[in-house]
Amino acid sequence: MSEVDHLLSKKVADRYLKREVLGEGTYGVVYKAIDTKTGQTVAIKKIRLGKQKEGVNFTALREIKLLKELKDPNIIELIDAFPHKGNLHLVFEFMETDLEAVIRDRNIVLSLSDIKSYLQMTLKGLAFCHKKWVLHRDMKPNNLLIGSRGQLKLADFGLARIFGSPDRRFTHQVFARWYRAPELLFGAKAYGPAVDVWAAACIFAELLLRRPFLQGNSDIDQLGKIFAAFGTPKPSQWPDIKYLPDYVEYQYVPGQPLRQLFPMASDDALDLLSKMFTYDPKARISALQALEHRYFSSGPPPTEPALLPRPPPKKESLNSKVSDFNIHEGPTVLSPPRKSRRVMPNHEGFEGNEYQLDDAKEGRPAARERTEHVPMPLDFSVFGSRPPTRPTINSADRSHLKRKLDLEFQLPEEEDEE
Amino acid sequence: MAANFWTSSHYKQLLDQEEVDVVQPLDREKGITLEDFKIIKMHMANYIGRLAQSVKVRQRVVATAVAYMRRVYTRKSMTEYDPRLVAPTCLYLASKAEESTVQARLLVFYIRKIYLDERYRYEIKDILEMEMKILEALNYYLVVFHPYRALPQLLQDAGMNDVTQICWGLVNDTYKMDLILIHPPHLIALACIYVASVLKDKESTAWFEELRVEMNVVKNIAMEILDFYDSHKMITEERINASMNKLALRQ
Repeated sequence: MSEVDHLLSKKVADRYLKREVLGEGTYGVVYKAIDTKTGQTVAIKKIRLGKQKEGVNFTALREIKLLKELKDPNIIELIDAFPHKGNLHLVFEFMETDLEAVIRDRNIVLSLSDIKSYLQMTLKGLAFCHKKWVLHRDMKPNNLLIGSRGQLKLADFGLARIFGSPDRRFTHQVFARWYRAPELLFGAKAYGPAVDVWAAACIFAELLLRRPFLQGNSDIDQLGKIFAAFGTPKPSQWPDIKYLPDYVEYQYVPGQPLRQLFPMASDDALDLLSKMFTYDPKARISALQALEHRYFSSGPPPTEPALLPRPPPKKESLNSKVSDFNIHEGPTVLSPPRKSRRVMPNHEGFEGNEYQLDDAKEGRPAARERTEHVPMPLDFSVFGSRPPTRPTINSADRSHLKRKLDLEFQLPEEEDEE
Repeated sequence: MAANFWTSSHYKQLLDQEEVDVVQPLDREKGITLEDFKIIKMHMANYIGRLAQSVKVRQRVVATAVAYMRRVYTRKSMTEYDPRLVAPTCLYLASKAEESTVQARLLVFYIRKIYLDERYRYEIKDILEMEMKILEALNYYLVVFHPYRALPQLLQDAGMNDVTQICWGLVNDTYKMDLILIHPPHLIALACIYVASVLKDKESTAWFEELRVEMNVVKNIAMEILDFYDSHKMITEERINASMNKLALRQ
């Protein structure tokens, strides 16, 4: 074991051998580790204790609560949790990349079979959540993680809720705006699994288009984008619309034929898409019904997960120059500032980054967490070149902690288990 | 009852009465009997209820907190996990898990109002430390199902809406016992309806027969509830104090 490795490897809680830091999110640091019991690579989230003296972070607790109940091949596995030096640590299976990285990688060609496979896995994970009465409420490509054998898994349950009681009221400030269903944009407080299906439809569209489909820059604009695509909903399409809290009448605009918006898609794909994009949440297809749609049974069959195209693993060595990171990215980097914000590399000079402002209320990480600095092969110019500004959730409780492919560097070859 | 109860961690964690009725060795050494054990848990359930009233949280939060507390003592001793700290901490944790967070400092404030006794006095940092230990003791399983959800539908179906209040009270009282650790919540709800129907001379036999449930289990739960009410009359303040005094004084 080299000296660097030695510095990076530190045992936590007997069982886990700590490796490099992967990034930092709203409620703490994420690092890679080796489970000495199984030899498996894992991602450990260290939950920072809130400065408000309010114990275990509420968002983290939500995630723990739900993930302990949700065991499914298409949902991220919470392997373990343990306290260490006063902090709670969550152990997740390690995931290589996420769907957003796939979508925006210009070197990747997604065939119709590939898209079908990714959508199928997304819907399977979602159907499982809904069967268990859990709403995900933050479906978007970078919350769909992809494992080493291509399996797609739903992650980031910090906004998720159990929707068991029929008349519970929820906040409508959920989802990143581009994935927000129209009922939420009209302020619905009593909503159901249909909101996740709308978001899944947006992801489906994004897979087809290779760019976010409905990119509104405000809630009003988001509705405008939706109406421009599908036409202003008529009362016959959505009878209950007028009862929604923030409902205002919009001037009628006609929609566009789906065929025109998605020229490459098959008829079956368009039929499913239109059912997932149904205005009336009561009439919108469920995740389970969507899986039974003939799109999935008609040809071409979905690609085997292991054969799905994925971004190449990053090859940079620990001390490589900062600039090779962005070299093979095309000019259209869709990397949202949002994502760069949620996973903060421990890098000096990054401190004052403007994108951090939004998270200021969560507080900066404690100084002691900053001592685990490792050199990161990063090019921060990516944050300067403006991709379309991905909107954020403006709800107070967000969980945004993610291992991040882009911050990853090569795992030391030999794994020394002390 | 939610359709997913049968696949939940709650269902998988259900225990037999004999497994619940185990006094931990450390507690036994202090002379705590099974009866003391039950009395202390009941006392703590009441304590959680009183605290909850002060901080105004839903009954569901109370129920979850009591379930947490009872689960903790199937695995940990009262000697190591002082019930006077575990009880408020369970309420604290349950309030977060049930999405109606109560601030720790508010709990500390009301703890002082309710008990002048020094032995109940705990600070915010104690609660936060215990929170982590409780999470561990619960093995991070936080979802608990309760009889409340099934109750209105069942009563509606049985055409017994007029006993709703009694049933609700009965369900609340089941948390003074360990039933939630042992039986599926909808069976507890049914047992409460059964007790209420007997109490109010309601004819419910036909309705119960039509339900595809194990009526024996329901009747047994109902008997346990009635037994509890009987024995409850004997539990005086002194008796509770005697049990509590067996717990070590705090250093």
